[in-house]
Amino acid sequence: MNAMILIGSPKGRKSASFSLASKLAEGLRENDVSVSYELVHAGLRTEEGTRRLLEAVDGSDLVVLAFPLYVDSLPAPLTRLLELVAERRSRVASPGTPRLAAIVQCGFPESHHCDTAVEICRLFAERTGMRWTGAVAMGMGGSIGGDIRRLPGGGKNILDALIMTAESLAKGGAIPVEATTLFARPLMPRWMYTLFGNLGWRMQMRKYKARRPLTYRPYSQG
Amino acid sequence: MKVLILDGSREGDSLTPVAVLGMTSALAGRVDNVELFKLRDLVIAPCAGCFGCWTRTPGECVIEDSARDVLRSYVGSDIVVYATPVTFGGYSSQLKKILDRFIPVLDPRFTTVGSEVRHLLRYRRCPKTIGLGTLPSPDAEAERLFARLVVQNGLNIHQTVESIVLVGVADPESARCSAEKLLERAGVTS
Repeated sequence: MNAMILIGSPKGRKSASFSLASKLAEGLRENDVSVSYELVHAGLRTEEGTRRLLEAVDGSDLVVLAFPLYVDSLPAPLTRLLELVAERRSRVASPGTPRLAAIVQCGFPESHHCDTAVEICRLFAERTGMRWTGAVAMGMGGSIGGDIRRLPGGGKNILDALIMTAESLAKGGAIPVEATTLFARPLMPRWMYTLFGNLGWRMQMRKYKARRPLTYRPYSQG
Repeated sequence: MKVLILDGSREGDSLTPVAVLGMTSALAGRVDNVELFKLRDLVIAPCAGCFGCWTRTPGECVIEDSARDVLRSYVGSDIVVYATPVTFGGYSSQLKKILDRFIPVLDPRFTTVGSEVRHLLRYRRCPKTIGLGTLPSPDAEAERLFARLVVQNGLNIHQTVESIVLVGVADPESARCSAEKLLERAGVTS
């Protein structure tokens, strides 16, 4: 079995999406699945990259979309890729039936902000003849730096959920409900996440020596 | 009153331009200023996910392209219309490319809206959002998902929204009638 992980974050290999996806990839490889990655934003910048992305989807048994939540749904370039895949599959007589899964994370504390994006992925799979195998989605994505093991609790819930996900996907199954539930479990109390988050924005402003206040309004409301 | 229409039609999409035409006709006589951006004709880079619009140049994206003109218009509008082919229940990539660049209208700090955490608003108000989707044939699931997405987007800017999906509507007169009903629901009366 071969799996293609499509990274939908503009930050590519430096993103939280990649950190999560790489842990899933480890689990898949341990279960004898061949795994490769493509960066969607970078790929869509050229015709050659776009062709490579489309061929990668065609040639995979399992496709995993790993992306951050942007305005309650998928980032624009990933949406563009889904449009292109749908167009291509509608033109091909026997486009195959790869399985589709998703890893979604958002910057809000609550994981359920990701629900609509997951539904969009599911509908995409169903309307294009792919087989939907489910998703794992989490809130508090702003906590993820590089190493998941440095998260509160050693990131155990996330890592365990990804191991369960990998084992099931490698056997041809769907993502288990237990994995989805575990992955969505908050990393810390909501008040703590929002407190650190609010402090974090101001610290970053100082780091970048921002010359405007946080509340600056560059455009007039007339 | 100013209305901003974001035309998220894709190449070869025959229905969304008709919906936009119907909306433009329905707005005539009701409002004094309508601005239309056909997004696929604009060079708008994807959001880089850098949060520079919150931490380096608060309120303004660090990328200098047409998104700044659209955002300036958005901030000065009373109503914004998201016109789009319903794409697996979501927006087209053409509409999404600008919505991803709208986060400078938010203040990065968290607040609670209802029972959920959202961001504070940078401006005193945001324009009321109207979703105008199109589909070539009935798809109840896609329509439901589209309505839900527009509602969620409204919550991000602390407001209620209205939306409609025009199914197979290819003539401007029918599109205008549907748009009029939508505007009435949104409280935009002549």
